[in-house]
Amino acid sequence: MMKKIVYIVTIVFGIFTINSCDTSDLELNNPNTLRPETFFTTEAQVKSAVNAAYANLQTRGLYGRNLSFAMDLMSQDTSPNPQLEGNKKPFHDFSFNAGNDIIQYYWESCFLGISRANFVLDNEEKINALPDRILTQEKKNKFLGEAHFLRAYYYFLLVNRFGDLPIYKKQTIISAARSPKADVYTLIKEDLQFASQNLLSKDVEEKGRATKEAAYAYLGKVLLYEKKYDEALVALNKVTGFSLEDKGNFFNNFTEENEHGKESIFEIGFDEKNGVGDKWGDAGNSGGTGFEESTLRGQEYGNLSWYNVYPADELLNSYETGDLRFGDTFYVPGSKYLNGTETMKASDFTTSEGLRNSGWKKYQNYYRKLDEAVQSSINFKVMRYADVLLMKAECENQRTGGSQTAAIAYIKEVRDRAGLLTVINATKDDVFKAIIHERKVEFAGEQSRFDDIIRWGIASTELQATGFTVGKNELWPIPNRETSSNPLIKPSDNNPGF
Amino acid sequence: MMLKLKFAIIALLIVSTQNVMAQSKTIKGMVTDPSGVPLPGASINVEGSKNSASTDFDGNYSLQGVNATDKITYSYVGLTSQTITVGNQTVINIKLAESTQTLNEVVVAYGTQKRTKVTGAVSVVNAKDIVAVPITNAESALQGRAAGVTVVNGAPGSNPTVTIRGLATMGNSAPLYVIDGVLTSNLSGLSPNDIESISVLKDASTTALYGSKAFNGVIMVTTKKGKKGPGQLTFSSYVGAQTVTKRYDVLNTQQYLQYAKDLGSDLTARAAEFGNVSTDWQDQIFQTGFMQDYNLSFSNGTENSTSRYSAEYLKQEGTIINTGFERYSFRANNTQDIGKLRLGSNIGVSFTKTNPERSAGGRTLLEHAIKMAPYFPIYNAENLGGYQGPSAVDSNDAENPVRVANLGYQKINGLSIIGNIYAELEIFKGLKFRSQVSLDYYTTKNHTFVPSFYDGTAHKQAFSTTNETNAQGQTIVFDNSLTYKTTFADKHNFEVLGVITKIDGKSQNLAAGSQYAISDEIDQLRYNNGSLGSSNFVEKNIGYVARINYDYDDKYILAVSGRRDASSRFGANNRWGNFYSVAVGWNIAKESFMADSIFSTLKLRASTGTTGNDRIDNYQYSATLIADYNYPIGGGNAPGVSAGVASNPDLKWESKNDRNIGVDFGLFDEKFTGSFEYFNNKSSDILFAVPLAASVGSAGGGTQIQNIADVKVNGYELSLSYNDRKGDFTWSATANFGTSKNEVTALAPGVTSVLGGPSARAGLENFSRLEVGQPLFYFYGYQTNGIYQNQAEVDAVFGPGQTIIKPGDIKIVDRNGDKAITSEDKTNIGNPYPDFTYGLNITAAYKKFDFNCFITGVQGNDIYNANIFDLQGMNRLFNVGTEVLGRAVVGTNGAVSNPSATIPRAKGADINWSSANQRYIEDGSYTRLKNVTLGYTLSGDAFKSYFSNIRFYVSGQNLITLTKYSGLDPEIARADTNANSAGIDLGRYPQPKSVIFGLDVTF
Repeated sequence: MMKKIVYIVTIVFGIFTINSCDTSDLELNNPNTLRPETFFTTEAQVKSAVNAAYANLQTRGLYGRNLSFAMDLMSQDTSPNPQLEGNKKPFHDFSFNAGNDIIQYYWESCFLGISRANFVLDNEEKINALPDRILTQEKKNKFLGEAHFLRAYYYFLLVNRFGDLPIYKKQTIISAARSPKADVYTLIKEDLQFASQNLLSKDVEEKGRATKEAAYAYLGKVLLYEKKYDEALVALNKVTGFSLEDKGNFFNNFTEENEHGKESIFEIGFDEKNGVGDKWGDAGNSGGTGFEESTLRGQEYGNLSWYNVYPADELLNSYETGDLRFGDTFYVPGSKYLNGTETMKASDFTTSEGLRNSGWKKYQNYYRKLDEAVQSSINFKVMRYADVLLMKAECENQRTGGSQTAAIAYIKEVRDRAGLLTVINATKDDVFKAIIHERKVEFAGEQSRFDDIIRWGIASTELQATGFTVGKNELWPIPNRETSSNPLIKPSDNNPGF
Repeated sequence: MMLKLKFAIIALLIVSTQNVMAQSKTIKGMVTDPSGVPLPGASINVEGSKNSASTDFDGNYSLQGVNATDKITYSYVGLTSQTITVGNQTVINIKLAESTQTLNEVVVAYGTQKRTKVTGAVSVVNAKDIVAVPITNAESALQGRAAGVTVVNGAPGSNPTVTIRGLATMGNSAPLYVIDGVLTSNLSGLSPNDIESISVLKDASTTALYGSKAFNGVIMVTTKKGKKGPGQLTFSSYVGAQTVTKRYDVLNTQQYLQYAKDLGSDLTARAAEFGNVSTDWQDQIFQTGFMQDYNLSFSNGTENSTSRYSAEYLKQEGTIINTGFERYSFRANNTQDIGKLRLGSNIGVSFTKTNPERSAGGRTLLEHAIKMAPYFPIYNAENLGGYQGPSAVDSNDAENPVRVANLGYQKINGLSIIGNIYAELEIFKGLKFRSQVSLDYYTTKNHTFVPSFYDGTAHKQAFSTTNETNAQGQTIVFDNSLTYKTTFADKHNFEVLGVITKIDGKSQNLAAGSQYAISDEIDQLRYNNGSLGSSNFVEKNIGYVARINYDYDDKYILAVSGRRDASSRFGANNRWGNFYSVAVGWNIAKESFMADSIFSTLKLRASTGTTGNDRIDNYQYSATLIADYNYPIGGGNAPGVSAGVASNPDLKWESKNDRNIGVDFGLFDEKFTGSFEYFNNKSSDILFAVPLAASVGSAGGGTQIQNIADVKVNGYELSLSYNDRKGDFTWSATANFGTSKNEVTALAPGVTSVLGGPSARAGLENFSRLEVGQPLFYFYGYQTNGIYQNQAEVDAVFGPGQTIIKPGDIKIVDRNGDKAITSEDKTNIGNPYPDFTYGLNITAAYKKFDFNCFITGVQGNDIYNANIFDLQGMNRLFNVGTEVLGRAVVGTNGAVSNPSATIPRAKGADINWSSANQRYIEDGSYTRLKNVTLGYTLSGDAFKSYFSNIRFYVSGQNLITLTKYSGLDPEIARADTNANSAGIDLGRYPQPKSVIFGLDVTF
C-alpha cells in the first residue's frame, strides 16, 4: 500500500518536471492590442487610422480646454478672474515661460496629431495595394487626403505659436532640428493642396470629417497669413455651398443642435454621449486617447459656473450700438436663458472681486440648460463662412489690382447679418480698419484675434500695456519638455527672449 | 465549549503518549519559559533517536527509555533550545532562555540552513517579535527590526512600501515575497499570528536563487506549522483605538474674512449667509478609529502527521472618516508521513474588505480640508445630497471633504488563496526529491458609487456614477528539486541542490462605469453613458537553479549557486538570463586557537553575485497599436487606431551585482551577539523610460523603455543584541543601524538629466530629478534666501525696469548671475534618503510581568512638503496656514514693513509658489517610540481547568515622536511602489497613535 502511494505520487509530480522543460510557450503575443504587421487590410482599419489623427484635436492641450483660455487671454478678449489658476494667468500678461505646462501640452498635442497622420501616410503603399473591392481608389485618396489635411492643420496651429519647427513627414523616434518657418508653410500648403484635390465634398462626406471645401478654406487662410492675396483669393473662391446663418440666428453658430449648419466649414467635434473620460488625468492633456468627448469650456467660462474668465471691458465697448451679435456673444443682467424661461440677475455675475457686468454666451449651454457641467458637447466651429467672407475682403483690399468695393461688399454681408449699416470709405486703410474691427467683434471668444493681431503686425498698439513685448511675445517658447529631450533643439535655440 | 475542546485535546494527548515505546530509564521534569511560567507543548527529543515527548498543560513531561549517555534537546517555538546530557539524573527541570537572533535554523531560498553556515546577509524576525507589537499587516513586523529594511504604512488595507538596502532601480522597488515557497507580491492576506519567522535575504548570495525576480531582495515568510505532541489551542485578541492628533493650523472664519479682504475679496456677507460658522475641516475628516482582532489556532501532531489550523478576524477603522479594513483569514498547514514519503500542504485563504481614502478632482481629502473656506457649514439640507460647498463667489478647487468621503462609497473586496501542495521523498539516505505545486490566486472587486449631489455651483453632479473594476489573477508554480546531503571523511559536508521551476501567470481585468440621471437608488452598472474595457495578461517563466554548499568541519564554508531564467516578458533576443553567486565563510570561533576566547561565535563571510529584475509590463518588446482613439463623426463615435508606445525588441533584464562582507560575533556564551555588514551593489542596464523628443509624437508619454541606466548603492548595517538574566529578571536589548547611499552612474547617451516624479500640485513643475553623479530622484529646484525688503534689493539682482519681482517676494537665488530667474538657476535642494535608519528593541520580564519598548528612527533625509504650497501659497483665495498672518507686508514707501517675515507677500510673483524651491524642503529625521507594551501572565492551579495560561497586555504605538518636520507625520507613505515618489508628502495618510488592550490565552 505504502509503496503504491510513493510510486503514484512520484509519477504525478514527475510529470510536472517533464512539463516544465518545454520553453516554446514563452513566445507570447499581446492579446490586448492590435499589431502593425496585420493592420491596414480592411476599409474599417484604414478609416480607424484616419480617425485617430482627429482625436488629438480634443486634448485638453488644444480644444478640450487650454487653447481657448490661452488664445482669448492673449488677445485680451477675456479678463481673468483672480481665482484663475497660475498656469493660465500668464497668458493675459505674457509672463509665461518655457516651463508652462499649457505650452507643453499644446506642443505635444499637435506633434502627436502629426504623428497620427503620418501613421496613415507611412502606410500609403499598403493602403494603395488594397484591391478595389476592399477600398476604391477614390476612398483611398480621400483617406490619405484627410491625413494630409490634419497634418497641415496641426502644423498650422504650431507654426503660428512657435515659428520655426522640426518637420516630420514620417513616424520616427529620431528627432529633428528646427526648419525655417517658410519650409513649414511649404509643407502645410502641399498637404492642403493634396487634401483639396482628394477630399470629398461636404455634400457627400460624413459630418465632422475634413472636406474639399475645408481644405480650400484653410489653404486660403494659410496663403493669407503669407500675404499671398491673389493665391488666397483663388482658394477661398472655391469654398462654395455655404451661407451665413440668417440675421437673428447668429447664435446658431454656437449651439449643439445646429452643428454642421449652413455656415460651418470645419468643426472640432465633441459629443459627451460618446463618453466623458477622465477630465483631469494626465493622458487627456495631450495623448488623445480615451473617450475625452467633452470640453470644459462651458464650466470654465460660464458666469453661473466657475467664471474663470469674463469678457474684457475693452471688448464689450468695441461693439457698435445695435450690433445684434452683442446679445448672442455675451450675457448681461436681464439676458434670457434656459430657452427664454430664466433671466440673468446682476448677482449672477458675482466674483470674489465683486460684481462684473457680463459673462460669455458663445459656446455656453445656458441657452438650454440651467447650469453648466464639466461636460460640454458643443463643437467648436473653427472655420465659419463669415471668416471666408472677411478673408476674401482682406484679399481684395490688399492684392494688387484688388477692389475696395468688392471688399466692402463682403464686409457688408457680415454686417447685414449683425443688423448694422455698412458705411466704409473705399480706401485701403479704411477698409483695413473695418476688417480689424469686424473680425474682433465677429470672432470674439473664438481664438481668432491674437493670430490676426500678430500677422497684421499691430501688436504694439493693440496689446499696449498688457505685458506684451514686441519681438518676443509674437511667439511662444519651445517648451522645456522638447529642449530637454531633443539634442537638436537646445534651450539656447529657443525663440527670442526665452 | 472550552472544556469540551480541552477534553478533545486530552484524548489526543493520550493517543500520542501511547505511541512512545517502553524502555528502561524514565526522565521527568517541568519545562518553563524564562519567567518560570510552565510551557505546555514543549518538545523533548533524544538526540539521534525518534524518542520524544511533549510537555502537558502544566509543563510537565515524562520521557521513557533514556540512557545516561543520551542527550536530550528541549525546544519551544520562539525560545532557545537547550540540550542536556542525561547522566544520572532522573528529574530535569528546564527553563528555556529567550531566543536571540541566533536561531539555529534560518529559512533561505529553497530550504533552511544552519545559522552557523549562513554566508550571506540575512535578517531574521521571529514569531515572538512579530506578535510583540499588535500589527495589522505582516510587513510592519520588519520595521526597525531588520537592519537595512524600511517599511512605511499607508491607509488601512493598503500595502506598505518595503525597501531593502535602498533603491537600486528606477521602477518598482518592492521586494519578492515568498510564503512557504510560494512567490507572491505582498503579505496582505496573511495574519501576523500565523507567521513563524520572516527571513529577509539581502545580498545576491542568498537571493540569486530567485534570479530574475530577486533584484529588490527577498522576504521569506514561514508560517507556523503543527508540532508533534498534544493538541494546543490558543486564542488571542486585542481591541484598540487609533487617532491622529496633529493638525495643520489654519485660519478660522474671522481670520479668513480679514485675509480675504487683504486679497481684495469681501466675503463678510457670504459668511453671514451661513450664520458665521467656523468649521474646522481637519477635525471633520479625522476620527478615532477602533480596531479589533481575534485569532484562534489549533495545532497538533502525531508520530506521522502534523497540522495547524487558524482563523483570524481583523477590523480596523481608519483615522480618516469612511476608511477602514476588514480581514477574515484562514490557514491550514498539514504534513503527513508515509514511510519515506512526506506529503504536505500549506493553504491560506483570506477575504478582505477595504474602504480606501477617497479623493476628488485629483486632490486628497487633506488638501481639501486645508483649503476649504472655514465659513461653510458641513451640511445644508437644501442642497441635493445634503452638503454645502463653494460657488463661483467662493473659491472653486476645494470640495467639501466630508461629502467627498461620505457621499456614496468605495469598497474593495478581495479574495486571496495562497498555498502549496508538496511531496518529499527520501530516495536513499541523503538524497531527497521534492515536488511542489504552488498557487497564488486573487480576485478584487473595486466598486465605487457616487450619487448625484449639489454642493454649490462649483461642485455638483447631476447623475449618479457607478464604477467597477474586477481583477483576477493566478500564478501557478511548479518546483521540482533534488537535494543531496552527505559527509565525507567526517568533516567534508556537502549539500547539493537542483531545482527546475516553471511559473505560469495569468491575470485579467474588467473595468466598467456608468452614469444614471434618473435615480440614485441603483448603485449598480447600467447601460447609460458607460465605459467598458477588459484586458488579459499572460506571463511565463522557466528557471533552472543549482546550489552547492560545502563546509569543512563547520569552519570553512563555500556556497555557490546559479540560476538560468527565461521570461516571456522579453523578446527572443534576450529571453534568457544567467545569475550566479559565490560566498565564503570562516567560523573563526571554531578554530582550536579560539577555544579559550570570549567569543562563542566569530564568523567572517563574504559574498558576491548577480540578480535580475523583470518588473516591467508584459509584452513591451513587441510593437503594438493603440486602439483607444475616439472622435465624433456623423453623429456617432468613430473609433481610431494608431501606432503604439515605442517598443524595444532588445529589452533585457536589469541586472545587479552585489558584494557583501560581514562578520557575526557572539560573546560570553552568546549573551552579547551582533553582526556587521558592508555592501556595495551596482545595478546596470536599469530599465529607464528614455524620454523621446516630444516633437516625434510618440504615443503613451513619449518614452521608450531602454536598458540604459546604472546605479550604485552601498552602505553598512550593524546589529547588536544583549540578553541577561538575574534571578526572576530577564532582559534583552537589540539595536540595529543601517545606511544606504545610492548614486546614478549612467543615464542614456546624450541624456544628462531627467525631471520626473509627481508634481507638488497639479499643473506645477516636477522636481524629482535623475542626474549622473546624484542620488536617484533627488529634489531639484531653486534655492531661496529670505524676502526682498525693498526695490533697491530687487534691482540689485535684476537690474531696474523689470516689474514681475517686487519687494515682499521670495529671493530666489540667481545662481548664474544672469539677472533673471531661469531653470538654469535650479540646483540640488534636497535628498529624500536618510543618512541612516535605526531601531532599538528592549524586552524585559520580571516574574509574571513582561515589558517591551521599541524605538525606530531615520536621520538626515529631506521631505518635500507639498502641503506648504496650500498653506503658504496665497496665489488664489483658499484657506491657508496661520503662518501667513505674519507674511511680508509692503508699506506705502514700497518697502517691507515687517522685515522679520519669512512668508512672502500675498499674490506676489508667481515664482514664489509655482516653482519647486527650498521652502518646501524640510528635515525629515525622526525618532519614534514605535511601541511600548506591558503584559501580565496568569497561570497556575486556580485556572487549570480552564486554561494553562493567559496573558493580558496593554500596548501603545507611536505615542512619542521627536521630529522637526512640520507636517502631520514624517513617516510618509510613498504614492506608489515607484522609486520616483520617494520623500514627497502630498498630504497622505499619517501614522496614527494607538492604544491597544489584548489578551493571549493558551488552553
